[in-house]
Amino acid sequence: MEGLISKIQRYSTKDGPGLRTTVFLIGCNLSCLWCANPELIAPGEKYLYYRERCVGCGKCVSVAADNSITLTEKGCVIDRSRCSNLKECASSCYYDAYEKVGYAMTASDLCEKLKRDKDFYDQSGGGVTFSGGEPALQPEFVMETAKLLRREGIHTALETAGLIKKDRMRELIQQIDLVLYDIKAMDSKMHLACTGVDNRVILDNAMMTAEMNIPMIIRLIVVPGYNDDKNDFYNRLQFIKRMGKAVKQIDILKYHRLGEGKYLRLGLENRVSIEEPSNEYISEYVQMAREMGFEPTIGG
Amino acid sequence: MDFLSFIPKTKDCDFDRIKRAQESMANRRATICPERAEIITEVYKRTEGEPQIIRKAKAFAEILERMTIYLEDDMLIFGNQASANFAAPVFPEYSFDWVIEELDAFASRTGDSFDISEDTKARLRKLEKYWIGKTHKDEVNRNLPKVNLLAEKQGVLHKGGISMSGDGHIIPNHEFVLEVGYGGVKKIALEKLKSNELDEEQRSFYQAVVIAMDGALTYIKRFSSLAAKLANEERDDKRRKELEQISEMCRDYMEGGARNFYEAVETVYLTHLLMMIESNGHSFSFGRFDQYIYPYYRRDLEEGRLTKEKALEIITHFFIMTNSINKVRPWDHTQYSCGYPLYSNLMVGGMKSDGTDGTNDISYLCLEAMNLSRLPEPNLSVRFWEQTPHSLLLDSARLIRKGFGMPSVFCDEVVIPAMMTLDLDLETARDYASMGCVETAIPGKWGHRATGMTYINFGKVFELVLNNGVDPASGIQLIRLNGKEGREVSYHTYEELWSAWKRALKYYFDLAVQCDLVCDRSLKFHDADPFASSLIDCSLERGKTLKNGGAKYDYVSQSNIGPSTVGDSLAAVKKLVFDEKVLTMDELKKALDSNFEGEEGARIRQLCRKAPKFGNDDDYVDHIVADVYESYLELLPGYRTDRAGRGPIGCGYTMSTSNITSYVPNGFDVGATPDGRLAGKPLNEGASPCLGADREGPTAVMNSMSKLPNDKIAGGQLLNMRFYPGALEGDDNLEKFTSFIKTGRLKKIFHNQFNIVDSKVLKAAKENPEEYPDLMVRVAGYCALFNTLMPEAQDAIIERTEHSW
Repeated sequence: MEGLISKIQRYSTKDGPGLRTTVFLIGCNLSCLWCANPELIAPGEKYLYYRERCVGCGKCVSVAADNSITLTEKGCVIDRSRCSNLKECASSCYYDAYEKVGYAMTASDLCEKLKRDKDFYDQSGGGVTFSGGEPALQPEFVMETAKLLRREGIHTALETAGLIKKDRMRELIQQIDLVLYDIKAMDSKMHLACTGVDNRVILDNAMMTAEMNIPMIIRLIVVPGYNDDKNDFYNRLQFIKRMGKAVKQIDILKYHRLGEGKYLRLGLENRVSIEEPSNEYISEYVQMAREMGFEPTIGG
Repeated sequence: MDFLSFIPKTKDCDFDRIKRAQESMANRRATICPERAEIITEVYKRTEGEPQIIRKAKAFAEILERMTIYLEDDMLIFGNQASANFAAPVFPEYSFDWVIEELDAFASRTGDSFDISEDTKARLRKLEKYWIGKTHKDEVNRNLPKVNLLAEKQGVLHKGGISMSGDGHIIPNHEFVLEVGYGGVKKIALEKLKSNELDEEQRSFYQAVVIAMDGALTYIKRFSSLAAKLANEERDDKRRKELEQISEMCRDYMEGGARNFYEAVETVYLTHLLMMIESNGHSFSFGRFDQYIYPYYRRDLEEGRLTKEKALEIITHFFIMTNSINKVRPWDHTQYSCGYPLYSNLMVGGMKSDGTDGTNDISYLCLEAMNLSRLPEPNLSVRFWEQTPHSLLLDSARLIRKGFGMPSVFCDEVVIPAMMTLDLDLETARDYASMGCVETAIPGKWGHRATGMTYINFGKVFELVLNNGVDPASGIQLIRLNGKEGREVSYHTYEELWSAWKRALKYYFDLAVQCDLVCDRSLKFHDADPFASSLIDCSLERGKTLKNGGAKYDYVSQSNIGPSTVGDSLAAVKKLVFDEKVLTMDELKKALDSNFEGEEGARIRQLCRKAPKFGNDDDYVDHIVADVYESYLELLPGYRTDRAGRGPIGCGYTMSTSNITSYVPNGFDVGATPDGRLAGKPLNEGASPCLGADREGPTAVMNSMSKLPNDKIAGGQLLNMRFYPGALEGDDNLEKFTSFIKTGRLKKIFHNQFNIVDSKVLKAAKENPEEYPDLMVRVAGYCALFNTLMPEAQDAIIERTEHSW
């Protein structure tokens, strides 16, 4: 069983308790306007182009089919819609100006690699977190890896937005020790506008996970001007309240701009370009959560 | 005040005064003091023909009688090394030519500069003539075989401090000094002199000890008068009382043992200082300060003469004052050790010799004192093991988080077995302490110089292997790996390459040992040090200096620079040339010769860079790096020091990767290497991965390190890691970081030190990413290596840093 992953991030500190290794999987069925990992949305391998590493040698230009790469003052301009052999172009570069994102790995190989940090997990109360993208879109792969990890006594967490069929979801999370669940908006129109999808399945699955009493951390991102409506945020908190004891913690995530450069490198349009919110701004949401009896952490 | 965990309950510690002293010491300016050089020149002229050790003792005593003394304003700890704060005394008996040559350049150095007056220059120039041909350095140069000089020209060997300065690198038996005082040491020597069975060496030694201890006691009494005089002039009541106390104390202080906590701490400082007036070695270290000071602390506390706050004040003053001492080195040595280092290691925590945990109040107070003093000395280290209280590690992590790289941590479960590979029993091994940087020794029982004898540039040796022993830069060939002259050599299998490496390493190791012996034999004469020697076990008993076999244990190590560079290079050749055959040896060598120039060079460099690298938890290369260590370790049993057969246990060699900043100048001498490193760039630091090589994060680095034979490297194994401050921010991250350190125990990490860096460094890291490969930063929900982030993300973090931290 193989999965498609982009990166294995060791010494992760904010994707669950303790020191963790976070596995980023490729492919997502949400398309959040503010996404910081756009290279993980569409399925399949991708190539990022780093202008500052490019020496302008023109090698990729000569390799590219249909003159789809042009060397300009701004480095190589890639017409991705026409470039049918980007993989070849990328591998012709001797200066690492192209970086491939995405590689296939079997569950057992992945587990072997994740096991290497077991001492760190054990010492710190950490483990492995599957993130992405949407890891739940590769459920067999995640389940198989999680089973192997469980056999090794390694704690697992799944970071998900929960948009998969209920049965699959149930099956998947039974193999998982902790679910980090994203709730991006309560109002379904707002959710649709921000993420491109309706949120009914997401909320259903959230409630189901809670009812199965699987420990959860709920993650609430706040993006100024997009999903920061106070009423809606209040409704998100109300919903979490109803989820009951399974919810161990809520993380309020601040919007950040660290993913901006990736859009450029992927030849994609960056759809949100606003200032990062201040601490004062975020403290109102924190206050609101406190008033409802939560002790939120501020992540991001 | 921003403490680690301390909560002051009395007002006995004046934190404002500490702050003032800290600021003034942090802004100190280095100067040169000619007094010591003048006095020793006079004494040497006067004592020609007398035994060397007597001359040294007389000079030491006369320096202490005549040198300028002063009390640092408002400080409880006293004793000065030269005529002004941070003035470096001059030691012409070790080497003097460079002092004269560099007189006009000291002030304009780009690093470690020294202000020097025209008067001082003139006073020093007057002494020049006397010392020509008479110094330790002259002696070394007379005796060093020509082939060694050629190996130095090739850039393989570097003589370092042992060829032109004193030896240092000892931890005196502070427990013993505190118990008997300088007067007690003198009494022992006098008692020994009553015997009729002494040989000439012993008689001179004991006489010299008496002279040296008298000098030390005279020096102390001078402070009694000075403090009395200053007390008379003092208007502030509190300070006047302190000065009166110092004056009263110095009337008979150190005639016998230390009488209370204050005297005990002062004694530790004074002993350190006096050793650094006697000789200009460095790495004189304090050993297990919390262990030997604790009885004095507890007794005073119990008898109501001391509070915890007062103890903190005294320790902090002591820490600050260790920064008043200085050493001047020639410019070419300075590059190997930038930043006025004295490497005065002070260790706390860890297992006691009976196997129980030794953590006590003083362990914590030292961490607090360092948090208050925030200066380069002492070099604070923490030992830990399974039973170390979590709170001590948490306080250590809090201090590390402050971002000035202290404390470094040593893991007992690795170091103790490493020490036991030498001929030490378990109880003795448990009492180890760090000396200098990461070198380890048994306090009070170990001879000079655990490490840092001759430096061997591993990177250069490997370059020679690829060139049949010819140094491409100088054209010098000392060894013919294929039996023929010239650079042409072909290796058809990895095994052939590996056996050539082993041959070349052995050849240069022989030369390095030769160099060690030449230096040691000269130091035996020129560094005959009655004061320091008498404070190490067995010297007083045997009547011998350390350099002539006085110590109970005697082990040395050289300094090996670039094992990861060599391992990564071997792995690249193995994989690309022999396993996968994507390159021929000729293609690779051509690319190296041209420093990877042109398109073909770029193609090959990319292949080289993508080959496995140490530090990423990749067994393929990690095992090869381990082989490199083993290739050196297996040579060690065949060699003996000059002291073999003269008394000490051991007298053999061990290994250490403590090599200060030598990996930078050593890199200058090495051409492009098969790991993809460009010519002239730094080699790897200590045992750390190569610059730019570790891309899998800190846990992977530890995993790679765990595959090295760390528990055989008794001379100290150095790992240096960089984290971004945000990675340790908040209680949660601090706990996680603490668990990371603790896991080092399971990973067999001998020693670890951390840099928590600020935005200035981040900016520089962005400009020159290759130089900051392992800089870890907190990004958004996770930590990442700074260089793996987009430039925009880097910018965002740099910006955020300025606003939030």
